[in-house]
Amino acid sequence: MMSQPMVQVSHVWKRYGALDVLKDVSLEVQKGEVVSIIGPSGSGKSTLLRCINYLEKVDSGVIRIAGNPPPSDERTLNLARSRIGVVFQHFNLFPHMTALGNVIEGPVQVKKMPRSESIEMARSLLARVGLSDKENAYPHQLSGGQKQRVAIARALAMQPEVMLFDEATSALDPELVGEVLAVMRDLASSGMTMLVVTHEMEFARDVSDRIVVLVDGSIVEEGPPGQVLSVPKNKRTREFLSRVLEGRRAQLPAALGAR
Amino acid sequence: MYDGVAPLWGFVAGILPTLLKATGVTLKLTVLAMCVGLAIGTLAALMRISRNRLLSSLSLAYVTFFRGTPLVVQILIIYFALPQIGVKLDRFWSAVVALGINAGAYIAEIIRAAIESIDKGQMEAARSLGMSYGLAMRRVIIPQTYRRLLPPLGNEFIAMLKDTSLIALIGGEELTRAGQHIISATFRPWPVYLTVAGIYLSLTALFSCLVRFGERRLQQ
Repeated sequence: MMSQPMVQVSHVWKRYGALDVLKDVSLEVQKGEVVSIIGPSGSGKSTLLRCINYLEKVDSGVIRIAGNPPPSDERTLNLARSRIGVVFQHFNLFPHMTALGNVIEGPVQVKKMPRSESIEMARSLLARVGLSDKENAYPHQLSGGQKQRVAIARALAMQPEVMLFDEATSALDPELVGEVLAVMRDLASSGMTMLVVTHEMEFARDVSDRIVVLVDGSIVEEGPPGQVLSVPKNKRTREFLSRVLEGRRAQLPAALGAR
Repeated sequence: MYDGVAPLWGFVAGILPTLLKATGVTLKLTVLAMCVGLAIGTLAALMRISRNRLLSSLSLAYVTFFRGTPLVVQILIIYFALPQIGVKLDRFWSAVVALGINAGAYIAEIIRAAIESIDKGQMEAARSLGMSYGLAMRRVIIPQTYRRLLPPLGNEFIAMLKDTSLIALIGGEELTRAGQHIISATFRPWPVYLTVAGIYLSLTALFSCLVRFGERRLQQ
Protein backbone atom coordinates (compact mmCIF):
# COMPACT_ATOMS: atom_id res chain seq x y z
CA MET A 1 0.00 0.00 0.00
CA MET A 2 1.24 3.48 -0.83
CA SER A 3 1.98 5.76 2.10
CA GLN A 4 -0.18 8.79 2.85
CA PRO A 5 0.51 11.86 0.73
CA MET A 6 2.29 14.57 2.73
CA VAL A 7 -0.19 17.18 1.58
CA GLN A 8 -3.63 16.20 0.43
CA VAL A 9 -5.99 18.91 -0.79
CA SER A 10 -9.37 17.53 -1.77
CA HIS A 11 -12.15 19.49 -3.44
CA VAL A 12 -11.36 22.76 -1.70
CA TRP A 13 -13.54 25.81 -2.27
CA LYS A 14 -12.69 29.22 -0.88
CA ARG A 15 -14.81 32.32 -1.30
CA TYR A 16 -14.29 35.95 -0.34
CA GLY A 17 -17.77 37.39 -0.47
CA ALA A 18 -19.06 36.83 -4.00
CA LEU A 19 -15.61 35.95 -5.35
CA ASP A 20 -14.64 32.32 -5.71
CA VAL A 21 -10.90 32.28 -5.12
CA LEU A 22 -10.45 28.51 -5.14
CA LYS A 23 -12.86 26.33 -7.07
CA ASP A 24 -12.82 22.63 -6.33
CA VAL A 25 -9.04 22.42 -6.04
CA SER A 26 -7.53 18.97 -5.46
CA LEU A 27 -3.84 18.37 -5.16
CA GLU A 28 -1.53 15.80 -3.63
CA VAL A 29 2.11 16.18 -2.74
CA GLN A 30 4.05 13.03 -1.87
CA LYS A 31 6.80 12.89 0.71
CA GLY A 32 10.02 14.29 -0.74
CA GLU A 33 8.27 15.75 -3.75
CA VAL A 34 8.83 19.33 -4.93
CA VAL A 35 5.75 20.84 -6.53
CA SER A 36 5.68 24.31 -8.05
CA ILE A 37 2.44 26.22 -8.40
CA ILE A 38 2.46 28.74 -11.22
CA GLY A 39 -0.22 30.93 -12.71
CA PRO A 40 -1.25 34.53 -13.27
CA SER A 41 -1.44 36.83 -10.26
CA GLY A 42 -4.78 36.73 -8.53
CA SER A 43 -5.32 33.12 -9.54
CA GLY A 44 -5.46 31.91 -5.93
CA LYS A 45 -1.94 30.48 -5.54
CA SER A 46 -1.18 32.27 -2.28
CA THR A 47 -4.65 31.60 -0.94
CA LEU A 48 -4.11 27.90 -1.55
CA LEU A 49 -0.88 27.96 0.48
CA ARG A 50 -2.61 29.92 3.25
CA CYS A 51 -5.37 27.33 3.34
CA ILE A 52 -2.81 24.52 3.56
CA ASN A 53 -1.26 26.23 6.61
CA TYR A 54 -4.76 26.76 8.01
CA LEU A 55 -4.27 30.54 8.04
CA GLU A 56 -7.48 30.66 6.02
CA LYS A 57 -10.52 28.48 6.58
CA VAL A 58 -11.77 26.61 3.55
CA ASP A 59 -15.47 26.91 2.76
CA SER A 60 -15.67 23.28 1.74
CA GLY A 61 -13.32 20.42 1.07
CA VAL A 62 -10.59 18.95 3.24
CA ILE A 63 -6.87 19.55 3.64
CA ARG A 64 -4.81 16.87 5.34
CA ILE A 65 -1.17 17.07 6.28
CA ALA A 66 0.62 13.72 6.61
CA GLY A 67 -2.73 12.00 6.75
CA ASN A 68 -3.89 13.86 9.84
CA PRO A 69 -7.47 15.13 9.97
CA PRO A 70 -7.87 18.93 9.78
CA PRO A 71 -7.32 20.54 13.20
CA SER A 72 -10.45 20.84 15.27
CA ASP A 73 -9.27 23.08 18.10
CA GLU A 74 -6.57 25.59 19.00
CA ARG A 75 -4.18 22.92 20.29
CA THR A 76 -4.28 20.67 17.22
CA LEU A 77 -4.18 23.76 15.00
CA ASN A 78 -0.94 24.96 16.59
CA LEU A 79 0.49 21.45 16.43
CA ALA A 80 -0.39 21.16 12.73
CA ARG A 81 1.18 24.53 11.95
CA SER A 82 4.35 23.68 13.85
CA ARG A 83 4.88 20.82 11.39
CA ILE A 84 4.52 23.05 8.33
CA GLY A 85 7.26 25.55 7.50
CA VAL A 86 6.17 28.73 5.74
CA VAL A 87 8.38 31.22 3.93
CA PHE A 88 6.61 34.48 3.13
CA GLN A 89 7.07 36.92 0.29
CA HIS A 90 7.91 39.73 2.73
CA PHE A 91 10.06 37.53 5.03
CA ASN A 92 8.18 38.59 8.18
CA LEU A 93 11.26 38.22 10.34
CA PHE A 94 10.81 39.38 13.93
CA PRO A 95 12.59 42.76 13.86
CA HIS A 96 13.29 42.87 17.60
CA MET A 97 15.29 39.63 17.55
CA THR A 98 18.67 38.83 16.02
CA ALA A 99 18.99 36.32 13.20
CA LEU A 100 19.81 33.65 15.80
CA GLY A 101 16.92 34.84 17.99
CA ASN A 102 14.53 34.48 15.07
CA VAL A 103 15.69 30.93 14.38
CA ILE A 104 15.53 29.66 17.98
CA GLU A 105 12.20 31.35 18.76
CA GLY A 106 10.03 28.50 17.47
CA PRO A 107 11.98 25.60 18.98
CA VAL A 108 12.37 27.31 22.37
CA GLN A 109 8.86 28.75 22.72
CA VAL A 110 6.75 26.17 20.92
CA LYS A 111 8.70 22.92 21.19
CA LYS A 112 10.21 23.81 24.60
CA MET A 113 13.59 22.71 23.33
CA PRO A 114 16.44 23.57 25.74
CA ARG A 115 18.04 26.86 24.79
CA SER A 116 21.57 25.56 24.36
CA GLU A 117 20.39 22.75 22.13
CA SER A 118 18.33 25.08 19.95
CA ILE A 119 21.20 27.53 19.63
CA GLU A 120 23.42 24.73 18.41
CA MET A 121 20.79 23.72 15.86
CA ALA A 122 20.19 27.34 14.82
CA ARG A 123 23.90 27.85 14.20
CA SER A 124 24.06 24.83 11.92
CA LEU A 125 20.94 26.05 10.06
CA LEU A 126 22.41 29.52 9.61
CA ALA A 127 25.58 27.86 8.32
CA ARG A 128 23.47 25.86 5.89
CA VAL A 129 21.93 29.04 4.44
CA GLY A 130 25.37 30.67 4.37
CA LEU A 131 24.86 33.18 7.17
CA SER A 132 27.10 31.95 9.99
CA ASP A 133 28.63 35.40 10.29
CA LYS A 134 25.25 37.10 10.70
CA GLU A 135 23.84 35.36 13.76
CA ASN A 136 23.95 38.53 15.86
CA ALA A 137 22.64 40.83 13.13
CA TYR A 138 19.16 42.29 13.43
CA PRO A 139 16.87 42.03 10.38
CA HIS A 140 17.26 45.72 9.53
CA GLN A 141 20.99 45.12 9.15
CA LEU A 142 20.45 42.40 6.54
CA SER A 143 19.79 42.55 2.80
CA GLY A 144 16.54 41.17 1.42
CA GLY A 145 18.23 37.98 0.31
CA GLN A 146 19.85 37.50 3.70
CA LYS A 147 16.54 38.13 5.46
CA GLN A 148 14.82 35.52 3.36
CA ARG A 149 17.56 33.01 4.06
CA VAL A 150 17.17 33.63 7.80
CA ALA A 151 13.42 33.18 7.34
CA ILE A 152 14.07 29.81 5.68
CA ALA A 153 16.34 28.80 8.57
CA ARG A 154 13.64 29.91 11.02
CA ALA A 155 11.07 27.70 9.30
CA LEU A 156 13.49 24.76 9.15
CA ALA A 157 14.23 25.06 12.87
CA MET A 158 10.80 23.61 13.59
CA GLN A 159 11.89 20.50 11.65
CA PRO A 160 8.80 20.69 9.47
CA GLU A 161 7.52 17.81 7.39
CA VAL A 162 6.69 20.12 4.53
CA MET A 163 7.85 23.60 3.48
CA LEU A 164 5.58 26.12 1.80
CA PHE A 165 7.17 28.97 -0.17
CA ASP A 166 4.84 31.85 -0.96
CA GLU A 167 6.56 33.84 -3.73
CA ALA A 168 9.71 33.76 -1.65
CA THR A 169 11.75 35.72 -4.18
CA SER A 170 9.15 38.18 -5.49
CA ALA A 171 10.07 41.01 -3.12
CA LEU A 172 13.80 40.73 -3.77
CA ASP A 173 16.05 42.86 -5.94
CA PRO A 174 16.93 40.82 -9.04
CA GLU A 175 20.55 40.36 -8.04
CA LEU A 176 19.51 38.82 -4.70
CA VAL A 177 17.10 36.24 -6.12
CA GLY A 178 19.85 33.74 -6.93
CA GLU A 179 21.12 33.29 -3.37
CA VAL A 180 17.63 32.44 -2.10
CA LEU A 181 16.91 30.07 -4.99
CA ALA A 182 20.24 28.35 -4.30
CA VAL A 183 19.15 27.63 -0.73
CA MET A 184 15.82 26.34 -2.01
CA ARG A 185 17.57 24.08 -4.52
CA ASP A 186 19.79 22.69 -1.79
CA LEU A 187 16.73 22.05 0.34
CA ALA A 188 14.94 20.30 -2.52
CA SER A 189 17.90 18.03 -3.18
CA SER A 190 18.05 17.12 0.51
CA GLY A 191 14.65 15.46 0.15
CA MET A 192 12.42 18.09 1.76
CA THR A 193 8.80 18.05 0.69
CA MET A 194 8.18 21.45 -0.86
CA LEU A 195 5.22 23.33 -2.26
CA VAL A 196 6.45 26.42 -4.04
CA VAL A 197 4.39 29.30 -5.40
CA THR A 198 6.73 31.04 -7.79
CA HIS A 199 7.19 33.24 -10.83
CA GLU A 200 10.67 31.87 -11.41
CA MET A 201 10.11 29.61 -14.41
CA GLU A 202 13.69 28.36 -14.56
CA PHE A 203 13.53 27.33 -10.93
CA ALA A 204 10.19 25.61 -11.50
CA ARG A 205 11.62 23.77 -14.51
CA ASP A 206 14.93 22.73 -12.94
CA VAL A 207 13.89 21.86 -9.41
CA SER A 208 10.27 20.73 -9.43
CA ASP A 209 9.15 17.16 -9.80
CA ARG A 210 5.80 18.47 -10.90
CA ILE A 211 4.24 21.77 -11.93
CA VAL A 212 0.68 22.75 -11.17
CA VAL A 213 -0.94 25.57 -13.15
CA LEU A 214 -3.61 27.50 -11.29
CA VAL A 215 -5.79 29.87 -13.30
CA ASP A 216 -8.85 31.66 -11.89
CA GLY A 217 -8.97 29.39 -8.86
CA SER A 218 -8.84 26.12 -10.79
CA ILE A 219 -6.01 23.75 -11.58
CA VAL A 220 -5.99 23.77 -15.35
CA GLU A 221 -2.97 21.57 -15.86
CA GLU A 222 -0.41 19.59 -13.94
CA GLY A 223 2.47 17.38 -14.88
CA PRO A 224 6.25 17.10 -15.12
CA PRO A 225 7.97 20.44 -15.80
CA GLY A 226 9.21 19.42 -19.25
CA GLN A 227 5.70 18.69 -20.41
CA VAL A 228 3.86 21.60 -18.74
CA LEU A 229 6.36 24.27 -19.74
CA SER A 230 7.33 22.98 -23.18
CA VAL A 231 4.22 21.27 -24.55
CA PRO A 232 1.35 22.58 -22.44
CA LYS A 233 -1.93 20.85 -23.24
CA ASN A 234 -4.24 23.49 -21.88
CA LYS A 235 -5.04 26.69 -23.77
CA ARG A 236 -4.94 28.81 -20.60
CA THR A 237 -1.51 27.44 -19.67
CA ARG A 238 -0.26 28.39 -23.15
CA GLU A 239 -1.70 31.89 -22.77
CA PHE A 240 -0.09 32.32 -19.34
CA LEU A 241 3.30 31.02 -20.46
CA SER A 242 3.40 33.16 -23.58
CA ARG A 243 2.60 36.23 -21.49
CA VAL A 244 5.42 35.39 -19.06
CA LEU A 245 7.88 34.83 -21.91
CA GLU A 246 6.80 38.01 -23.69
CA GLY A 247 7.30 39.90 -20.45
CA ARG A 248 10.84 38.53 -20.23
CA ARG A 249 11.66 39.56 -23.78
CA ALA A 250 9.99 42.96 -23.38
CA GLN A 251 11.95 43.76 -20.23
CA LEU A 252 15.32 44.41 -21.82
CA PRO A 253 14.38 46.78 -24.68
CA ALA A 254 11.94 48.57 -22.38
CA ALA A 255 14.67 49.12 -19.82
CA LEU A 256 17.02 50.43 -22.45
CA GLY A 257 14.41 52.62 -24.07
CA ALA A 258 13.16 54.11 -20.83
CA ARG A 259 16.24 56.19 -20.29
CA MET B 1 2.66 95.08 48.78
CA TYR B 2 6.12 94.87 47.17
CA ASP B 3 8.63 94.35 49.93
CA GLY B 4 11.95 93.95 48.15
CA VAL B 5 13.88 91.17 46.46
CA ALA B 6 15.69 89.74 49.45
CA PRO B 7 12.56 89.28 51.59
CA LEU B 8 10.83 87.70 48.57
CA TRP B 9 13.55 85.10 48.18
CA GLY B 10 13.52 84.58 51.88
CA PHE B 11 9.77 83.97 51.74
CA VAL B 12 10.07 81.48 48.90
CA ALA B 13 12.91 79.68 50.66
CA GLY B 14 10.72 79.52 53.73
CA ILE B 15 7.74 77.89 52.01
CA LEU B 16 9.83 75.60 49.82
CA PRO B 17 10.23 72.70 52.31
CA THR B 18 6.45 72.51 52.77
CA LEU B 19 5.86 72.61 49.03
CA LEU B 20 8.55 70.02 48.30
CA LYS B 21 7.04 67.68 50.86
CA ALA B 22 3.70 68.02 49.07
CA THR B 23 5.53 67.45 45.77
CA GLY B 24 6.46 64.05 47.16
CA VAL B 25 2.77 63.26 47.51
CA THR B 26 2.11 64.49 43.97
CA LEU B 27 4.84 62.22 42.60
CA LYS B 28 3.69 59.22 44.61
CA LEU B 29 0.16 59.82 43.35
CA THR B 30 1.34 60.09 39.75
CA VAL B 31 3.48 56.95 39.82
CA LEU B 32 0.86 54.81 41.54
CA ALA B 33 -1.96 56.08 39.31
CA MET B 34 0.21 55.46 36.24
CA CYS B 35 0.74 51.85 37.35
CA VAL B 36 -3.02 51.41 37.78
CA GLY B 37 -3.59 53.08 34.40
CA LEU B 38 -1.04 50.86 32.63
CA ALA B 39 -2.51 47.68 34.12
CA ILE B 40 -6.10 48.60 33.29
CA GLY B 41 -5.14 50.10 29.94
CA THR B 42 -3.26 46.99 28.81
CA LEU B 43 -6.12 44.75 29.85
CA ALA B 44 -8.70 46.98 28.15
CA ALA B 45 -6.62 47.14 24.94
CA LEU B 46 -6.33 43.34 24.76
CA MET B 47 -10.05 42.98 25.46
CA ARG B 48 -10.85 45.54 22.78
CA ILE B 49 -8.96 43.68 20.03
CA SER B 50 -10.13 40.23 21.11
CA ARG B 51 -12.62 38.46 18.90
CA ASN B 52 -14.91 37.96 21.89
CA ARG B 53 -17.75 40.43 21.36
CA LEU B 54 -18.61 40.73 25.05
CA LEU B 55 -15.04 41.56 26.13
CA SER B 56 -14.63 43.97 23.25
CA SER B 57 -17.85 45.89 23.98
CA LEU B 58 -17.11 46.01 27.71
CA SER B 59 -13.79 47.63 26.90
CA LEU B 60 -15.39 50.05 24.45
CA ALA B 61 -17.97 51.08 27.07
CA TYR B 62 -15.21 51.70 29.61
CA VAL B 63 -13.15 53.79 27.22
CA THR B 64 -16.17 55.76 26.04
CA PHE B 65 -17.33 56.61 29.57
CA PHE B 66 -13.96 57.62 31.02
CA ARG B 67 -12.82 59.58 28.00
CA GLY B 68 -16.21 61.19 27.57
CA THR B 69 -16.73 62.59 31.07
CA PRO B 70 -14.66 65.18 32.94
CA LEU B 71 -11.93 63.88 35.23
CA VAL B 72 -13.22 66.22 37.96
CA VAL B 73 -16.63 64.54 37.86
CA GLN B 74 -14.97 61.12 38.02
CA ILE B 75 -12.93 62.17 41.06
CA LEU B 76 -16.04 63.49 42.80
CA ILE B 77 -17.99 60.32 42.04
CA ILE B 78 -15.25 58.08 43.40
CA TYR B 79 -14.68 60.12 46.56
CA PHE B 80 -18.22 61.26 47.41
CA ALA B 81 -20.61 58.88 45.66
CA LEU B 82 -18.92 55.48 45.93
CA PRO B 83 -19.03 55.47 49.78
CA GLN B 84 -22.84 55.56 49.54
CA ILE B 85 -22.78 52.14 47.91
CA GLY B 86 -20.29 50.83 50.44
CA VAL B 87 -16.98 51.47 48.64
CA LYS B 88 -14.96 53.62 51.02
CA LEU B 89 -11.52 54.80 50.02
CA ASP B 90 -9.49 57.47 51.77
CA ARG B 91 -8.50 60.65 49.91
CA PHE B 92 -5.20 59.35 48.68
CA TRP B 93 -6.49 56.05 47.32
CA SER B 94 -9.59 57.68 45.85
CA ALA B 95 -7.21 59.91 43.95
CA VAL B 96 -5.04 56.99 42.79
CA VAL B 97 -8.09 55.05 41.63
CA ALA B 98 -9.71 58.04 39.88
CA LEU B 99 -6.56 59.13 38.07
CA GLY B 100 -5.62 55.53 37.25
CA ILE B 101 -8.98 54.53 35.82
CA ASN B 102 -9.16 57.73 33.83
CA ALA B 103 -5.67 57.33 32.39
CA GLY B 104 -6.40 53.66 31.70
CA ALA B 105 -9.01 54.67 29.13
CA TYR B 106 -6.51 56.79 27.21
CA ILE B 107 -3.73 54.24 27.62
CA ALA B 108 -6.03 51.50 26.29
CA GLU B 109 -6.44 53.44 23.05
CA ILE B 110 -2.70 54.14 22.86
CA ILE B 111 -1.85 50.45 23.28
CA ARG B 112 -4.57 49.31 20.89
CA ALA B 113 -3.34 51.67 18.19
CA ALA B 114 0.25 50.49 18.71
CA ILE B 115 -0.72 46.81 18.45
CA GLU B 116 -2.80 47.44 15.34
CA SER B 117 0.08 49.31 13.72
CA ILE B 118 2.24 46.17 13.75
CA ASP B 119 2.36 44.48 10.34
CA LYS B 120 -0.18 41.62 10.06
CA GLY B 121 2.59 39.43 8.66
CA GLN B 122 4.20 39.33 12.11
CA MET B 123 1.22 37.56 13.65
CA GLU B 124 1.02 35.19 10.67
CA ALA B 125 4.71 34.34 10.90
CA ALA B 126 4.39 33.69 14.63
CA ARG B 127 1.27 31.57 14.21
CA SER B 128 2.86 29.62 11.36
CA LEU B 129 5.60 28.53 13.78
CA GLY B 130 2.83 26.97 15.84
CA MET B 131 2.56 29.71 18.47
CA SER B 132 -0.77 30.25 20.18
CA TYR B 133 -2.39 33.68 19.90
CA GLY B 134 -1.34 34.57 23.44
CA LEU B 135 2.24 33.45 22.96
CA ALA B 136 2.49 35.33 19.65
CA MET B 137 1.19 38.47 21.36
CA ARG B 138 3.61 38.16 24.26
CA ARG B 139 6.73 37.20 22.32
CA VAL B 140 6.27 38.90 18.96
CA ILE B 141 3.63 41.63 18.83
CA ILE B 142 3.78 43.39 22.23
CA PRO B 143 7.60 43.75 22.33
CA GLN B 144 7.46 45.53 18.97
CA THR B 145 5.06 48.12 20.37
CA TYR B 146 7.42 49.37 23.11
CA ARG B 147 9.22 51.88 20.94
CA ARG B 148 5.96 53.26 19.56
CA LEU B 149 4.40 53.34 23.02
CA LEU B 150 7.08 55.35 24.79
CA PRO B 151 6.30 58.85 23.40
CA PRO B 152 2.50 58.74 23.91
CA LEU B 153 2.87 57.08 27.32
CA GLY B 154 5.40 59.75 28.28
CA ASN B 155 2.82 62.39 27.35
CA GLU B 156 0.23 60.53 29.38
CA PHE B 157 2.55 60.53 32.41
CA ILE B 158 3.15 64.26 32.11
CA ALA B 159 -0.57 64.97 31.71
CA MET B 160 -1.23 62.83 34.76
CA LEU B 161 1.37 64.70 36.80
CA LYS B 162 -0.50 67.94 36.11
CA ASP B 163 -3.92 66.35 36.60
CA THR B 164 -3.02 65.36 40.16
CA SER B 165 -3.63 69.05 40.99
CA LEU B 166 -7.37 68.33 40.58
CA ILE B 167 -7.12 66.23 43.72
CA ALA B 168 -6.99 69.52 45.63
CA LEU B 169 -10.77 69.55 45.03
CA ILE B 170 -11.33 66.71 47.47
CA GLY B 171 -8.76 68.09 49.89
CA GLY B 172 -5.87 65.82 48.97
CA GLU B 173 -2.65 67.25 50.41
CA GLU B 174 -0.70 67.45 47.18
CA LEU B 175 1.33 70.31 45.74
CA THR B 176 -1.48 72.64 44.61
CA ARG B 177 -3.45 72.18 47.80
CA ALA B 178 -0.34 72.83 49.88
CA GLY B 179 0.09 76.11 48.01
CA GLN B 180 -3.52 77.09 48.76
CA HIS B 181 -2.91 76.44 52.46
CA ILE B 182 0.13 78.70 52.51
CA ILE B 183 -1.77 81.46 50.71
CA SER B 184 -4.68 81.35 53.14
CA ALA B 185 -2.17 81.97 55.92
CA THR B 186 0.08 84.53 54.17
CA PHE B 187 -2.16 86.19 51.53
CA ARG B 188 0.67 86.14 49.01
CA PRO B 189 -0.72 84.32 45.94
CA TRP B 190 1.93 85.52 43.47
CA PRO B 191 5.11 84.03 44.90
CA VAL B 192 3.32 80.92 46.12
CA TYR B 193 1.52 80.03 42.89
CA LEU B 194 4.58 80.88 40.79
CA THR B 195 6.69 78.61 42.97
CA VAL B 196 4.08 75.86 42.67
CA ALA B 197 3.97 76.34 38.88
CA GLY B 198 7.77 76.31 38.79
CA ILE B 199 7.90 72.97 40.57
CA TYR B 200 5.39 71.42 38.14
CA LEU B 201 7.32 72.84 35.20
CA SER B 202 10.66 71.46 36.45
CA LEU B 203 9.13 68.01 36.88
CA THR B 204 7.44 67.92 33.47
CA ALA B 205 10.60 69.21 31.79
CA LEU B 206 12.63 66.55 33.57
CA PHE B 207 10.27 63.76 32.46
CA SER B 208 10.19 65.06 28.88
CA CYS B 209 13.97 64.76 28.84
CA LEU B 210 13.83 61.25 30.29
CA VAL B 211 11.31 60.17 27.64
CA ARG B 212 13.44 61.60 24.84
CA PHE B 213 16.50 59.85 26.28
CA GLY B 214 14.56 56.58 26.52
CA GLU B 215 13.38 56.94 22.94
CA ARG B 216 16.95 57.33 21.73
CA ARG B 217 17.99 54.28 23.72
CA LEU B 218 15.19 52.18 22.20
CA GLN B 219 16.12 53.36 18.71
CA GLN B 220 19.50 51.68 19.20
